[in-house]
Amino acid sequence: MTESQPPNRPAIHDSDTELIQAVNFGQVDLLPELVRRYEQRLYTFGRRMCGNPADAEDLVQETFLNVLRYLKDFRYETKFKNWLYRVAASTCLKQRRKSKFAPERQESLEALGIEVAADAVPRWAQMPLEKLLNEELAQTLQNAIHSLPKAYRLVVVLRDMEGFSTQETARILTISDANVKVRLHRARLFLREKLKGYFNHGL
Amino acid sequence: MVCEASSHPHCLELFEKLSEYIDDELAPTERRAIEAHVAGCVACLACLQTLRRTVALCRTGGDHPVPEEFSRRLYSALSTLPRDPA
Repeated sequence: MTESQPPNRPAIHDSDTELIQAVNFGQVDLLPELVRRYEQRLYTFGRRMCGNPADAEDLVQETFLNVLRYLKDFRYETKFKNWLYRVAASTCLKQRRKSKFAPERQESLEALGIEVAADAVPRWAQMPLEKLLNEELAQTLQNAIHSLPKAYRLVVVLRDMEGFSTQETARILTISDANVKVRLHRARLFLREKLKGYFNHGL
Repeated sequence: MVCEASSHPHCLELFEKLSEYIDDELAPTERRAIEAHVAGCVACLACLQTLRRTVALCRTGGDHPVPEEFSRRLYSALSTLPRDPA
């Protein structure tokens, strides 16, 4: 997991730098601190990406193992957190689902589109956000995200749930900014269709 | 997957940029073009508002607590690993 970046990029110093340097200089007793800092974030990322908790746990454990494997290649040319997510995303793309009843989704969104004519802004897009939120809606959204192909799911999770910018997401996934924007737009449209279906029945 | 108003070329052209509009990633001229269009096109306004609400709902998700048993197994697995010298 070596960083492929232009030469002479200035080193980035952030709150993780000293810890990473110490671990790389042999202070392996500091590894639990690294895990403590990121297990919550990575587990949440795993749950957002995976359909079941066991897959999320596998993703987190495999990501930390890969981090330890490749940490010596980290060149401090990006935030450690962003490099960690790059490892996690790469691990996720290679991961196979544990459940044999959960086949991988198709990698195209074309067949999943639904068209419904709109002649007004629907109520669910106008009501206060806090009035819409409930467990059922959260589950509907979660299911919709899990039914996206991984390439799209990764982009929408990184951009709209984990809070990375377009440029950061592009570097984490090693794709272009334009590709991030296209995938994000299509993923959002897909989720919007699923939410429309939910609200058309519920409101 | 297309916009409700996609039969109109101008709507379709703007529709492709709605996510960038929501993310404030458009040039001022493109921003103004979208704002002028949705002011008079209910179908595109509905597209924009439902897409904006979808993004807002995605952003409301909280953390999933790490199961204690998994956390114990994780620390245990990582603490027993041999590691190559730097």
